[in-house]
Amino acid sequence: MRSFRIVIAGHGAFPAALLASTEMICGPLADIVAAGIEPTDTPDRYAEALRAAIGRDGAPDHVPAQSDAAGSGASLPAEAGRTARSSTRKGRVLVLCDLLGGTPFNVASAISRRSPRIVCISGVNLAMAVEAALADGDLDDALVERLLATGRDAIVETERHRAQRAS
Amino acid sequence: MSLRLVRIDDRLIHGQVVAGWLRALGARRIVIVDDATARDEFLRDVLTLAAPSDVPVEVLNIADGAIRCIELAASPEPVFVLARSPRTVLGLRQAGVPIEVVDLGGMGSGPGRKRLHKTISISPDELAELRELERLGTRVEIQIVADDRPIPFRSLDSTH
Repeated sequence: MRSFRIVIAGHGAFPAALLASTEMICGPLADIVAAGIEPTDTPDRYAEALRAAIGRDGAPDHVPAQSDAAGSGASLPAEAGRTARSSTRKGRVLVLCDLLGGTPFNVASAISRRSPRIVCISGVNLAMAVEAALADGDLDDALVERLLATGRDAIVETERHRAQRAS
Repeated sequence: MSLRLVRIDDRLIHGQVVAGWLRALGARRIVIVDDATARDEFLRDVLTLAAPSDVPVEVLNIADGAIRCIELAASPEPVFVLARSPRTVLGLRQAGVPIEVVDLGGMGSGPGRKRLHKTISISPDELAELRELERLGTRVEIQIVADDRPIPFRSLDSTH
């Protein structure tokens, strides 16, 4: 099981659509949130929305361990349990951004600086989103490296890719 | 006069700005004038990530930005100047930077802000600052992307 939450940040409908497409492959992903910026949003307003999506300090650690178990969503009790188990990792959040230098990335980077619990990646594609959604365990350096490689490796041109594989 | 474009955009550098405008303007240098960003090394680094590696980006506060813009305006190098708010551009103008035209490119909506045109919203203070810029001889236009026809602020301001 994945021990961190994921926020997809990007332009317009892209984050919600990427989330929907990731769910098409992985099944329902109740703990992944999409945050799209609209043309009328100021960076400040988008930062507010993104902070809300990430959660305070990137943490669901204010969730009471037992009391929520009955009424809330399926992922919550399990997540609270994992949070309690590895307290240094609690509430880590992976922010997947669509475009290097775009406002969602700029804003997410500024937020991530203030919280070591947040990791911010730019250039997300479906391959990377699926890899992240299905990741097991902690949001550590090895996983971040693997996500970057997965995203990069998914970008090919058929003929060049065939030739490379053949050689 | 080589300040190719002085643009107000609350997002400063972002994809649309960098890709479209640099090409349209033939600008090879970006000057961002913003007091808050100039103070913050991390924000400076993040913002400059977006620019092509062969286009230098300078991030300056209003005081230093005015000196630099006056210098660059006298040089033949085409320059793209970006600011977050009308107040900054008015500050540059009052410090003697020759600004023929200022472009309103990105001003988001929010409490106390009134929609001026499409995605451009302004506060009462900003309205006053833009009027002051026009009084000082700087033309104010709305042009969100380079392909848009510029719309004179004056034609929209008449209703206010």
